[in-house]
Amino acid sequence: MEREEILSAIYHCVKCKLCSISSFHPNEEWLPLCPSGRFYGYQAFYAPGKLEIFREILEGEISEPTEGLLKAVYACTLCGACYEKCKQITSVEISLPELFEELREELVKKGWFLDTHKNIAEKIKETRNAYGENYKYEAKSFYGADVLYFIGCTARYRVPEIADAMLKIFDKLAIKYQVMEDEWCCGSVLLRTGQVGDVKELREHNIEEIKNSGAKTVVFTCPGCLMTFEKNYPDMGVELVHSSQFLTRLGDMKVKKQGMEVVYHDPCHLGRDLGIYEEPRAVLKEVADVKEMKREREQAWCCGSGGGVKSAFDDFALWSAGERIKEAKEAGADALVSACPFCKRNLREAAEKEGTEVYDVVELVNRSLEG
Amino acid sequence: MNQTVSEFVKELQAIVVEENATDDPAICASYSRDQHWHFVPAKNPAYVVRPANKEEVRQVLMLANKEKIPVIPYSTGINVRGLTIPVHEGSILLDLSRMDRIVEINPEMKTATVEPGVTFGMLLEKTRKYKLRPAFPDAPLTVSVLVNYYLRGIYQTAAADGHDHVLSYEMVLPNGEVIKTGSRSLSEMPYFRYGVGPDFAGVFCAHPGTCGVVTELTAKLYRLYDNRKVYFIGFDDANTPINFLHNLMHDELAASIRLVDNQSWLKGICGTFDYEYEKLPKFVACILVEGLDEIFEAKDKLVSEYIKESGGGVLDFPEEFKRTFEEESLGGAEKSCMVFGLRGNYHCIGLYGPLKLAGKYYELHERTALEVGIPEAYIHYYVNPIYSFHGQLCYFELDIFYDGSDLEFGEKLRNYNRKQFQRLLDLGIYGWFRPYAGIIEPTVERIGYLAEVWKRFLKVLDPNKIMNRGKLF
Repeated sequence: MEREEILSAIYHCVKCKLCSISSFHPNEEWLPLCPSGRFYGYQAFYAPGKLEIFREILEGEISEPTEGLLKAVYACTLCGACYEKCKQITSVEISLPELFEELREELVKKGWFLDTHKNIAEKIKETRNAYGENYKYEAKSFYGADVLYFIGCTARYRVPEIADAMLKIFDKLAIKYQVMEDEWCCGSVLLRTGQVGDVKELREHNIEEIKNSGAKTVVFTCPGCLMTFEKNYPDMGVELVHSSQFLTRLGDMKVKKQGMEVVYHDPCHLGRDLGIYEEPRAVLKEVADVKEMKREREQAWCCGSGGGVKSAFDDFALWSAGERIKEAKEAGADALVSACPFCKRNLREAAEKEGTEVYDVVELVNRSLEG
Repeated sequence: MNQTVSEFVKELQAIVVEENATDDPAICASYSRDQHWHFVPAKNPAYVVRPANKEEVRQVLMLANKEKIPVIPYSTGINVRGLTIPVHEGSILLDLSRMDRIVEINPEMKTATVEPGVTFGMLLEKTRKYKLRPAFPDAPLTVSVLVNYYLRGIYQTAAADGHDHVLSYEMVLPNGEVIKTGSRSLSEMPYFRYGVGPDFAGVFCAHPGTCGVVTELTAKLYRLYDNRKVYFIGFDDANTPINFLHNLMHDELAASIRLVDNQSWLKGICGTFDYEYEKLPKFVACILVEGLDEIFEAKDKLVSEYIKESGGGVLDFPEEFKRTFEEESLGGAEKSCMVFGLRGNYHCIGLYGPLKLAGKYYELHERTALEVGIPEAYIHYYVNPIYSFHGQLCYFELDIFYDGSDLEFGEKLRNYNRKQFQRLLDLGIYGWFRPYAGIIEPTVERIGYLAEVWKRFLKVLDPNKIMNRGKLF
């Protein structure tokens, strides 16, 4: 983004701060939307304040990486709820999360970033995964299959039950699939934390592997990976789909409803970034009774783990997830279901004390499938 | 001040705990501008402090007073016209957003008592179960109830609410003394504005800075009725509807009345950009009738009759538009902020004056804007009559919606202001909506000895000039 384009976007914010709450009418309920602003309180943590910080950086008025600067810039999940609300009110066209990613990129150029995020980049360099794990997630693979499952770092190393469930679904439905022999991190965490220079090698490797696989469709259980492939990778001539999209178009999977009352949590990358709201709900309705939470779809409350927040500001990440768990309980749900390994990991951790169950859509589908 | 920065922050942190006071340049930068940056340049406060209660406010003020450091109170962060932008180096930004308690909703008294961090949205959420609502400004419902009322009445979305919504409040003065106005000073019943001598609630309100920090305010609430009907009537000019609006106001028939042009506020009132507004008559009167059953029917019948003889035509808008206007008028403004999306920023001169000058104000607005090179398409208008209509009281807004990133346009607007402030004062107004820096200086030149009294009054209350210093005297 050019400097003038960024400044123009900044100059279009009139500080109405409607971006910080969900639509008030017609239900007339005061429901916050900005986790960062709500948790930290200072104006710097709301979108209008962050834009002023960006302006001062571009104009050279902020000249050192203070603790407040790093926190205001990086303790934001880039969830995009502010942008969705602003767009609805003002038809603004420049995405706030994209601006905040630009801001991070600008800071990284100056060497102003968090050690935690630097460490993640180091781990990726060493191990090709964001968690620095040296072991391999084992999965069988059918050479030459049309479908390739891109597992992602988090489902491989932190919430493997999601990957396990997806693979079992393929098996139960007799769908031949491949997994990459040497899957590397997609680069999402680097892009979201402003470390864009380190992504090139990862991208090239993954593209090469996918091309060589001959697969026609790549399935993702991680919306972060899917979004990165959609927005930050060149067109590879293959179809990119989220697991929920893939399952929806299979039609009747002959699933058995579980008798659970659940709520669906929209992952930010899947919903606000990719516009995929219906398919996860459609799949979920096949296997459970779905209740509504107050903040859903474009105005869903973020789980709190994205944008590098979980690794750097875990107290804030867990608080945000805790708010979502409360909302799920208020809706009278037995379980909270998402469609993202990042969401599941953070929500599950926050839910431990509350006794609320947390699942990914594919886990419930797997349970409901016979065989 | 005679201390190092870090020592001073430590003193502030000792009052509000460490996490709630800072001199971090990035945190301070986030408070440096509002939408009025073409007129009030960006300026960072040196410190931001977030007190949790009245006692913390008091201690911060006493410390600032001792050190002669300017203090800028700030409530929920939706500020306009540079009101919370520091003038001087080394200022304290007193962010009151943590003080967001609704102290009391009293349906029996039809009142609400709130702290500064309570927004209109927060308050309505709690009052509506009693079929009561606050008087809403046509500003985002994210704004502070207390501050909007304290700054001086509001231009409310419901004409029926009248102009003054403040009953009483408590205010911490720079020397740490706490004063209470109206019946609040005498008893635990803060429900009456007058009765202890002068109207102190009025005297402390509506200064270009503030006199102190208001920590709690009791305001009027208004009834919500189930029976409602909305009309949109189109007019080709700003003069024709005057008689019609006068009739409605004189007979107290409509709850909400707005006369707007067809290209700006109407889009928010209807809740969509996607309509052929350009095909409508140039001005549209938006009328909402409400009331108890038979009273409502009688009012509606009379309104219908006045519409027939208004000289305008009833517009056949979708039901959804009518519903949005109801929500915006009686439930807080949200969609009306769509005007911010017209070209990115807005400039307005908000003033009070009589309805009979509505046509003249518009002519003047158009003339001055065109003179300084502002395109005709950017010129917009908003009239909001207010009961009980003595003096034909209306709130007028002379609006220009423009691209805020266009710096040359900023110069045109400054030219516009220089001419227009004087011209409006010459034509005759009741007063400005907000006495902000820039508009107030040419005004006080015209008010004679009152200016001297005002100045001395502030000197007594705030001898060290710490309350938002530099905004006027």
